[in-house]
Amino acid sequence: MASNSELEEPMNPHTERAPDAGSRPRYYEVFARKDSTDALTHIGSVEAPNDDLAEIRAWYVYDQHRWREMCVVPTEAIVTVRPRPGDVIRIKAV
Amino acid sequence: MAFSANDDLLCVADTKLVLGNWFAECVMNGRSLPDFAAMLGMCTASYGQTRAIYQHLSPGRDAYAQMERGRGPDAISSMELLDVPPQNWEDLVLTAYLSEQATWAMMSSLLDDPDRAVSAIARKVGEEAYFHLKYATGWFQVIRSEDESSERLMEALARRLPLAVDWFGHPDGDTADVAEASTSERSRTQRFLRNVAQDLERVGLQLPDLSQPLDRGEWDSSRRRRSDLPDGLFEIIRFKDPVYAH
Repeated sequence: MASNSELEEPMNPHTERAPDAGSRPRYYEVFARKDSTDALTHIGSVEAPNDDLAEIRAWYVYDQHRWREMCVVPTEAIVTVRPRPGDVIRIKAV
Repeated sequence: MAFSANDDLLCVADTKLVLGNWFAECVMNGRSLPDFAAMLGMCTASYGQTRAIYQHLSPGRDAYAQMERGRGPDAISSMELLDVPPQNWEDLVLTAYLSEQATWAMMSSLLDDPDRAVSAIARKVGEEAYFHLKYATGWFQVIRSEDESSERLMEALARRLPLAVDWFGHPDGDTADVAEASTSERSRTQRFLRNVAQDLERVGLQLPDLSQPLDRGEWDSSRRRRSDLPDGLFEIIRFKDPVYAH
């Protein structure tokens, strides 16, 4: 254990930072609704190394309301139905 | 040895006060904006729990002021686990996790308390503990993916876990033998250790050996401590005089 003389010294933010969690960053879309009559609405996105941290980061970053429900979805799990404007539609010739 | 319910609540409140200050002090050790937001969120949630319990224990303005600002380091009942600051990120995550698990083991036994104010506080603590614990277990997964980081986590666990267990108390004041504790204390300790073991198991870790008793002075059952809060830490956590805030 550290001695009492070290008690007033918090971790040095320049040398004792969180490990680099972004070796394989994942992106998550955040959805929420204020009450049960609202539709679940896209409110933003977060980057996180795993589902647990995505959940927590979304909860604390998007805390502008007392949400009744919030969920995160890995961006890579979203299946695009209609392409965004500018995306090239590739139709396989038959 | 009898434990007072109000003493126990104060132990939780003071522990949350110190834990909130840990988060406030370590915000800049994070690496990203979402981490800063999460740590500040956990900081304010911890302060909120502290103040809710203080208000319950000391209704009235004067009593509350005495509770919040009128106590010295010899009257603060926080966990000794938090006396020594985090040595690195792994130590911070692990120690915050152990504090949350331990306080939740205590508060969860009050969920059905006949005093509705107490049961409501316990429920609120539980709701917030869910997020605080998940933050830690999320980081455990990241830490376990790196060898050096994993080693630091295990070192912190070996150093901190005995202090967390010590918080739950001992029947004769000087033994760390969990088996000798009273039934409710043993139940809380076992629930705490079971939860910690399960979370560690998910990332491939095991509980360290806890057979070595702590030899650190006489146990004070009302504060669940063996020594006074260190002066340096008290200067960080004490509520400053409001006049200086303007």
